[in-house]
Amino acid sequence: MFVENLKMALSALVANKMRSFLTMLGIIIGIGSVIGIASIGDTVRQMVSTIYQNVGATQSIVYLNIQDEAGIRDTDFFTNEEIEKYKKIFGTDLAYVDTNSSLTSEVKTKLGINKVTLTGVDSNFLNFQPTMEIKYGRFLTSKDIESRRYVVVVEDTAALKLFGKEDVVGKTFREKFNGALQEFTVIGVYHENMSPLQKVFMGNSQDLKTYVPTSLFIESEYNMFSGLRIFANKNFSGETLKRFNENFVEYVARTKGRNKEDFYLYSAGNEMAQVDGFLSAISIAMGGIAAISLIVGGIGIMNIMLVSVTERTREIGTRKALGATTRDILTQFLIESAVLSAIGGIIGTSIASGAILIAGAIMQQSVVIRPIIVILAVGFSALVGIFFGIYPALKAAKRDPIIALRYE
Amino acid sequence: MAETKDIIKLEDMVKIYDTGAIKVLGLNRINLSIKHGEFVAIMGHSGSGKSTLLNILGCLDRPTLGHYYLDGIDVAQMSGDELSRVRNQKIGFVFQSFNLISRMSIQKNVEVPMTYAKIKPDKRRKRAIELLEMVGLGERINHEPNELSGGQRQRVAIARALANKPPLILADEPTGNLDSQASIEIMELFAKLHKEGSTVVVVTHEDNIAAYTHRILTFKDGVLQSDRINEKPTPFGENVGLGDRKS
Repeated sequence: MFVENLKMALSALVANKMRSFLTMLGIIIGIGSVIGIASIGDTVRQMVSTIYQNVGATQSIVYLNIQDEAGIRDTDFFTNEEIEKYKKIFGTDLAYVDTNSSLTSEVKTKLGINKVTLTGVDSNFLNFQPTMEIKYGRFLTSKDIESRRYVVVVEDTAALKLFGKEDVVGKTFREKFNGALQEFTVIGVYHENMSPLQKVFMGNSQDLKTYVPTSLFIESEYNMFSGLRIFANKNFSGETLKRFNENFVEYVARTKGRNKEDFYLYSAGNEMAQVDGFLSAISIAMGGIAAISLIVGGIGIMNIMLVSVTERTREIGTRKALGATTRDILTQFLIESAVLSAIGGIIGTSIASGAILIAGAIMQQSVVIRPIIVILAVGFSALVGIFFGIYPALKAAKRDPIIALRYE
Repeated sequence: MAETKDIIKLEDMVKIYDTGAIKVLGLNRINLSIKHGEFVAIMGHSGSGKSTLLNILGCLDRPTLGHYYLDGIDVAQMSGDELSRVRNQKIGFVFQSFNLISRMSIQKNVEVPMTYAKIKPDKRRKRAIELLEMVGLGERINHEPNELSGGQRQRVAIARALANKPPLILADEPTGNLDSQASIEIMELFAKLHKEGSTVVVVTHEDNIAAYTHRILTFKDGVLQSDRINEKPTPFGENVGLGDRKS
């Protein structure tokens, strides 16, 4: 019986394609918006998560945040010896440390003047940058760090800007470093494996990115640094990461005779969780607003079903004369409106999904369309159809056959 | 042996209906019985009560007082759904304006009563095709009603009426919307069905239509005025219902 009604409902829809389409439009737009927004939200969250993975999900920056009115003491700062101590104490939990130092200034080459950022890193930095791929030459080694060589690893786009080609291993450039003009030799060129959209997200500045040994920055000032960049063990996450970060700060504070509030730890993981929560909330809010158009669509369905019921008064009377019960008529019309809106939901989903997939392909960004969202959306639109179809269906079912048969 | 039980029995049946302002006595103490296998015409002008009677005989309406026994069952106290079931199983309707469902093939139209009887799809299809062949429309089973002439549509309606093998065929002015040629063919079809054992009751106001039947009940002002046997029913040909006719 259900299958019969289904087939009848479909043929009724097909018989009047234009009307069916206009009726479904509200649902199509509503579902399309909901799916579109949910998918965009999920995709952005995925992107954000990937970016944080690329940056290093266990990365944190620790820096001085002295509240003491008496002022900052020398012992508050970080020294190289302390860094070595941390490495020993925390072992593999503290997978990476550097002093978070960098410097940007102008470099003049045959092709012109560019701003180049030199970021000081340790030799195992590459392990924490999943999107960094060495294209030519090599990355820094511990020898480079120990010997404090003025060597540099440049991004391929930087190489192009400075020298006009990518394989520039062996080439040199001069940059002002610690007051004097230093010559840096390129020992490697890397490529950043990120989609253009991700690069936009990461904040693409015009400065050219390069990496130099962290030990080069020691000569500056008094061998004291106000902050650290650390990476916790890659296996840490969520709770374990949080605990490690807390332990680290506590230890640092204790050994410096300070409170843990005097140091601030800014964790990528935390930020990501915040951003994710924020995006999630926005998606839900916007999805909710889109759902309002579903109600409008439902009203449209109710209207059309009322018209349809009136148009088919004779038919209803005939069916009753032939033996249809009130329930039979009710079911028939409910299924019709459910099918109408379910199909609207399917069309809306297809259009939204298609648009998003195309957009993703164009922007070279993999998109996320969760099957559960699709199922919920189509299911919900069927429910909308049933809900808004009840009144017309009841009207149809309650028609007196004698009166209905006389209807012109 | 042919059944000689009553298919229709009305005992002191009264129908009063409420038009809001006043109550109208539609049918006044009707007593009549129709046996299985009869071919009856119900005649009368408008206002005679024949439409009211038709609705009650067809279980679309209930008597106000008295009894209506359809094939032995008192239908007066039945609920709406029970009456639907009775209509589905016991009565085959044929309407003046055919009342076929458009957008549906005539085969599917004939299947409708069987759908409500919860008969399985393949059985339904088979029977629908058989019935359409019997009324001479076997070549057109996939056509829709609007592709057929009036006479053809009424033949589909008759096939539909026979779908669940009901003991009673109830026709309301079946030739009212047909030309004379088609009218003859339809009445001959009824006559043939009667010859094969069906009980056929035709409501009409036309004498030449009633002439096909074997018994004529005449109503006036809500009362059964006369009940006479038609000695010489109009004869019908042997090749009724075969092949596609002009109608």
